[in-house]
Amino acid sequence: MPIYAKSYRRYEGRPRRHFRWLVIVEQEVATLMKFRVFKALFLLSMIHVILRMLQVVAYDVLAQDPNHPLQIVFANLDIAYIGPSTFFSFLYLQTTATFIILLYAGAGMICNDFKNNLMEVYFSKPLTWLDYALGKTMTLVLLGLSITALPGVLLVVLHNLLLPGMETLSDSWWWPLSIVGYSLLIVVPTSLCILACSALLPSQNYAAIATIMALVANSSLGGLLAGMLHQRNYLAVSFPLALRRIGETLFRDNRILFSLSWYWCFLYVSVVCAVALLIVLRKARRAEIAA
Amino acid sequence: MTPIIDFSDVTVSYDGVPALDGVTIAFGGGAIGLLGPNGAGKSTLIKTVLGFNRAEKGRVTIFGLPMPRRAVEVRHRLGYMPEIEVSSPKVSAVAFLMYCGRIFGMSRVDALERAHEVLNYVNLGDSRYRTMETYSTGMLQRVKLAQAILHDPSLLLLDEPTNGLDPDGRIEILDLVRDIASRPDVTVIVSSHLLPDVQHVCEQVVMIDKGRVVHSGAISELTAPRPEFYEVRVRDNDEAFIHAARSAGYECARVHPSNMLLVRTSQDTGVQQLFQIARDSGIQVRHFQPARRSLEEAFLQAMEKE
Repeated sequence: MPIYAKSYRRYEGRPRRHFRWLVIVEQEVATLMKFRVFKALFLLSMIHVILRMLQVVAYDVLAQDPNHPLQIVFANLDIAYIGPSTFFSFLYLQTTATFIILLYAGAGMICNDFKNNLMEVYFSKPLTWLDYALGKTMTLVLLGLSITALPGVLLVVLHNLLLPGMETLSDSWWWPLSIVGYSLLIVVPTSLCILACSALLPSQNYAAIATIMALVANSSLGGLLAGMLHQRNYLAVSFPLALRRIGETLFRDNRILFSLSWYWCFLYVSVVCAVALLIVLRKARRAEIAA
Repeated sequence: MTPIIDFSDVTVSYDGVPALDGVTIAFGGGAIGLLGPNGAGKSTLIKTVLGFNRAEKGRVTIFGLPMPRRAVEVRHRLGYMPEIEVSSPKVSAVAFLMYCGRIFGMSRVDALERAHEVLNYVNLGDSRYRTMETYSTGMLQRVKLAQAILHDPSLLLLDEPTNGLDPDGRIEILDLVRDIASRPDVTVIVSSHLLPDVQHVCEQVVMIDKGRVVHSGAISELTAPRPEFYEVRVRDNDEAFIHAARSAGYECARVHPSNMLLVRTSQDTGVQQLFQIARDSGIQVRHFQPARRSLEEAFLQAMEKE
């Protein structure tokens, strides 16, 4: 019988003391990758990216080539045009896929740890509640950015590669910043709200339903108030529309949905984020420090 | 020598209800049993050691480090097996232990190697590759023990380690715990309300009731032979022996459920006379030895005093 089957050796390694939240991110992503549904959702969200890639190629290659038979079509087609609004609409349309993926990934993230009594085990290791909360949040944020900011920035890079020149660069240098900013605006509040529901409710299904209900109720309320009071600014009560209003400013889009300043919308989003973050941190802290 | 765990007048409350009430105790090395009825404060004491509970009053130091301020450093050196069932349903035991190792700060290679090593040690076999949702209670108990010893802690806290196990599984886990406790520089604290479990594993015992330490000491001292008490077994006619002994001034009673008799001598009634009584009554003495107090008796006595 080998020696390790009779006993276990002393551990003499030097444990890493920082960035424990990264371990949580790795583990969560590895666990998610085991689920076919998650992989399918992720791939589905990439269909939109591929279509946008074709749009960039069509505009940058076909529309710029006067000898190409399709040049006239693409050069005059509004939806083929590449500009800041292209990326705004890309991210706006990507929001639904992001929400679904984050909901699938995050609804059970905290409640399942509570349900399976894993908190005591995790916190008996040198892990703090801050590491835990940061790890869970960063998992969703990175996941969300991988289907919004990452492909968005890559599309801008592709646009610059296919249509090289100072004019393209001077037009598009600020696009990646807006893309990352708007992506963060979509992903961070969504992640925090999903995690807050997961921390508050006892099961994954309840957390998912609560998040959807909150979104539907909030959007309906915005619509109702705007309709009843004949004031479009009340649409800002709807969280997705408040996000859209900030996006319009970030991408310098003229198609403004309501006239309320983006500051108010940003304040609204910040308050929602702060409340959700507070819930997540409080629950994580309570799991480590019981009394 | 600095005690490994040092509690000084520690009070811990849950919503104003004290779960530990002015506990002062120091734990050295070896295997120590925490005994007490349900709700006595055993788990609270363990969670205070882990830093989960903050002392309202008093001072807690572990390895000489003040708690909960240095909790993260302390947790590098301790392992904890919780009382409740722990499972990560969608992952295998190997993956779960690897994750625990990575949380501890091990490299990926170290974590995988250690995971296999401790899973071999707790005898989990090939089931380690199955997802944990398919595990029996006994297997989950082994995984809990494995994650606690994964990083080779010098202080191991085991909260009801035999909960929900069948008799064979219980013995296996207790043997493992005893083996771990026999390792040099390892202190094991076993919290249990099952006295035989504690007796099987530990050399020292701390009895807790209503949040207070009611007794602490070596099990061998608690169960040492009592000078005035003797265990006697006679052939066939034990009723006659009891009658004769009582008539001669001895206190004599049956020890249930065995057919043993417990006889208490005094200054007037010596041991020699007892044999004389047996001879006179025509009774054959088959067994005679100084009686030891069982841990159960010691425990009940400590609880009664309280």
